[in-house]
Amino acid sequence: MNFAPDTPLDIATAVNRATPPSGQPKLKVDKLNFYYGDNHALKNINFDIPEKRVTAMIGPSGCGKSTLLRVFNRMYQLYPGQRAEGSILFDGVDLLGKGLDSTVVRSRIGMVFQKPTPFPMSIYDNIAFGVKLHESLSKAQMDERVEWCLRKAAIWEETKDRLHTSALGMSGGQQQRLCIARTIAVRPEVILLDEPTSALDPISTSKIEDLIDELKQDFTIVIVTHNMQQAARCADLTAFFYLGELIEVGVSSDIFTNPREPRTRDYITGRFG
Amino acid sequence: MAHMDATLGASPSGQLAHKPTGRISDPIFVGLLWASGLFVLVLLGLIIAMLFHGGLPALKEFGAAFLWSTSWNPVTEKFGAGVMVFGTLFSAIIAVIVALPLSFGIAFFLTEIAPMKLRRPIGVAVQLLAAIPSIIYGMWGFFIVVPLIAAYIQPPLIEWLGPLPVIGALFQGPPLGAGMLTAGLILALMILPFITAMFVEVLESVPPMIKESAYGVGATTYEVYRNVSVPYGRTAMVGAVMLGLGRALGETMAVTFVIGNATRMSASLFAPGSTIASTIANEFPEAPMGSLKLQALLQLGFILFVISFIVLALSRLLVRSKLKS
Repeated sequence: MNFAPDTPLDIATAVNRATPPSGQPKLKVDKLNFYYGDNHALKNINFDIPEKRVTAMIGPSGCGKSTLLRVFNRMYQLYPGQRAEGSILFDGVDLLGKGLDSTVVRSRIGMVFQKPTPFPMSIYDNIAFGVKLHESLSKAQMDERVEWCLRKAAIWEETKDRLHTSALGMSGGQQQRLCIARTIAVRPEVILLDEPTSALDPISTSKIEDLIDELKQDFTIVIVTHNMQQAARCADLTAFFYLGELIEVGVSSDIFTNPREPRTRDYITGRFG
Repeated sequence: MAHMDATLGASPSGQLAHKPTGRISDPIFVGLLWASGLFVLVLLGLIIAMLFHGGLPALKEFGAAFLWSTSWNPVTEKFGAGVMVFGTLFSAIIAVIVALPLSFGIAFFLTEIAPMKLRRPIGVAVQLLAAIPSIIYGMWGFFIVVPLIAAYIQPPLIEWLGPLPVIGALFQGPPLGAGMLTAGLILALMILPFITAMFVEVLESVPPMIKESAYGVGATTYEVYRNVSVPYGRTAMVGAVMLGLGRALGETMAVTFVIGNATRMSASLFAPGSTIASTIANEFPEAPMGSLKLQALLQLGFILFVISFIVLALSRLLVRSKLKS
């Protein structure tokens, strides 16, 4: 991991780590419109999110990228007055269709938030909580599951001796990796990351970024970030949003070195946003 | 403003010699503030002292046994607080047991489920419950609730649950309507708004992101409530319940109407009883100055004060410990 200053050169070298996208789309966004009451927050969004790749969504604050993330796992449905039109096909099933159970959707499309959000319980229970909702495991199986996801989230070594202490006593970076472990524990297919490192120090951030790289072998990852170097380092695909519209989406190396749209170029070179 | 300009414009020596307009009025103002603050302390101290001093002869006459003795006989002048202390705690605990689930339900409905349009009307209705004077609850309880309970609730319960071992003891006696259960139910309605309001506050203080995280792993509304929201605010919620308990302990008028005012001890929910407050309200007019009865009543008041004080102090402690963390 390098901590070079934010320069275009850094972006160019980082892009080489990315894997080119292939395979069929895991999520297919089709003519999506989203409203907060009368506010038209997402305007006719169409794009595909490939399976087992990292897709980054970037753009200035208020551009709708986090909103889109919250449509993917139907989080918006918790709030009256928010509604979505169009369709998002998840392995061919429309996520916005009626008759789908939100809890099932959310167990298959997990989410990690801007700030670490450990539940007020032990490390072990933080993970077991989600698992118990969907599966009935024996004590041994649960132990195994907890260890598995903590290892996946690269936090097992730090937590194995204190599994039954409160999760609130961990550092911010550890808490965030615990939250990732907790999301993985339910064995989702897609993981949504909403600015997962915005509250973390650089070392914790680099750990999370390494983790994202690991996780894409098993999961489809969608990450919202304000940090363009992060998008360049981690993402195979990058989508640029501006004022509720999807301006451009493509392979990260193209977006960051040779954007088609002038607005994208202005944003990634820091002229606005 | 004008005063400030004058000061700024003056020479250094002039500044020192300058007499601000507040020179006399400000110390008076500060003095009044001190007086208002100290007034509360003095008042509280005087009330405690008066209650204790006034009741001291009764305590001397009957000794510490006054606290638990269950005889209350104005004719033979044998007085004990046992029945009233028991009745006070029993009715207040029934009230909390009844009010707690209702408050949970209302508070969670208001914070999580209710559509925006419904939140205000229900929230205001809950607050209005708190605005109903206690005497109205008393009259309503006496004329409406007592006959209803006597006619429809007590007979089946006495018949079905009365014969059971252990818990049967709770359902003994004639269906009078007035009694511990009725008092507890009315009290529950009266403390409901306070507990609910505090629960709403606690639930609203749970960060939305934590709730969303729980929803995010596929939890249902109930599971989020049960495993995240409630544990998050547990301490403050216990404090809220204690606060409700404190209110129930001292409530007088409504209880006096519906509790039956008997000075006998009974474990049955249906038996008439009395609380400290209802006893004082009932018997004070018939207690002549300087009589042992009056002294016993004052001592009862002191005991109620101490019980309420302990409960309130505990609740404050719990609420505060939560706010700090």
